[in-house]
Amino acid sequence: MSNSWQREIKAIVRKEIASEIRTKSGLATVGLFSLASVVAVAFSAFNITLGGSLASGLLWVTLLFSAAVALPRAFVTEEEQGTGDLLRLIARPEAVFWGKALYNLLLMLATAVVLSVLFFTLVGKGIDIPWLYAVCLIGSCASLAGTVTLCGALVAQASGRGALAGAIAIPLLLPLVALGVAGMRVALGEGVLKGGEEAAVGLVCYGVATLAIGPALFAAVWKS
Amino acid sequence: MLFALVVGATTVWSLLVPDALDKFQVPQLARIFFYHFPCAIITSIFLFIGPYMAIRSLIAKTPEWDVRSAASNEIGFVFGLLTMSTGMLFSKVQWGAWWQWDPRQTSFLLVLLLYSGYFVLRAAFSDETKRAANSAAYGVVMALPSLFLIFVFPRLPQVANDSFHPTTTIQKGLLVGDYLHVTLTMLVLFTVLSAWLYKLRVQAGMAEIALENLNGNLETRGGHPAPTGVVRPVHLSEQDREEAKER
Repeated sequence: MSNSWQREIKAIVRKEIASEIRTKSGLATVGLFSLASVVAVAFSAFNITLGGSLASGLLWVTLLFSAAVALPRAFVTEEEQGTGDLLRLIARPEAVFWGKALYNLLLMLATAVVLSVLFFTLVGKGIDIPWLYAVCLIGSCASLAGTVTLCGALVAQASGRGALAGAIAIPLLLPLVALGVAGMRVALGEGVLKGGEEAAVGLVCYGVATLAIGPALFAAVWKS
Repeated sequence: MLFALVVGATTVWSLLVPDALDKFQVPQLARIFFYHFPCAIITSIFLFIGPYMAIRSLIAKTPEWDVRSAASNEIGFVFGLLTMSTGMLFSKVQWGAWWQWDPRQTSFLLVLLLYSGYFVLRAAFSDETKRAANSAAYGVVMALPSLFLIFVFPRLPQVANDSFHPTTTIQKGLLVGDYLHVTLTMLVLFTVLSAWLYKLRVQAGMAEIALENLNGNLETRGGHPAPTGVVRPVHLSEQDREEAKER
């Protein structure tokens, strides 16, 4: 990757972080949403010992909805504040996508770590295979960041974009739930290791594929 | 006319084949396979055609490819619904429940959700250019999860053993005699039907665009273009204003 590309991508990521530090609205929204959803899950599982499959399923549902709420904001706020046109003038579309996706990946990783700590503390469950859990979490976050960033870009100029981003992103992410749950349940002590490893590889591949085709598709719609 | 005759004859033929007595709660209902299987195959074919048309639409950026892309997803969605409804009917009679989270049923439901996302996204744009570009991009993104759901997910060892849905009937040569011949004939007929519906949908879409362009070019009495979608100020004479004040 040439220096000019790196400069553009770094500039977009720095801009996202700076505007987030200034407003703190994204972190506050996703933080409160994650906390509320984990408390709701732990509350509804009150006095029930969760098995690996159910625990990984519930954790994935909270991850999925946190991503659907938080990540589309990256493009939606640009259009709402009228800064999208400036971005179109100063940066290449692929660099904009990569910058936004990287920022969303960082936000999603932070969210996933906080969610996991809260979830396992509140439901009183341990992780049996930490490395598998970490790989599944990173693969999940990459897939979520790639897919939801692209969906955010697709709906940014549409009417009713707030709810629309989640509505079109969730069907795209549902296959990931199958892979994520299959991997995480093994990490939480249920099922055979081989199945968990295959699911983790599937998650990482899905994330790589999404992040690879994302810039090309984004370039086709960004300036239309 | 010839097509309608062949469809009628094949339908009669499908009713005349002997009942499948083995393994069926209601042997007569085994005939639903003649309709369920071709619909599933047509949906799977349109899962490839849809992304192809979407890529062509992104490259060409013309209304024609956008219409083709939307039409292929619409036809895929309709045949997906038919697959789902015939499968649910069979499931109720054979296994006692309309819905049982069978991996095949679930994967088809998720594919229909993906199609729904595509149509919702199209409906959210009033600008034709943006609608075409954004929905085509979504159509391409849909390809990866759709193909995973149809071809990979139901075959995963974790879920394949929990499925009632037969998957290897044809490969094992269990479909023989009249059942095989009727199924193949139905498959050909459904393929022709889907191609014909697709062609009609594209023609209707192109006619809509032509009509919109025609309306846009129509001249009003004053010689200005027709104000489609734009509310223009209305000129009031002095007399009209006086009358409005009096009211």
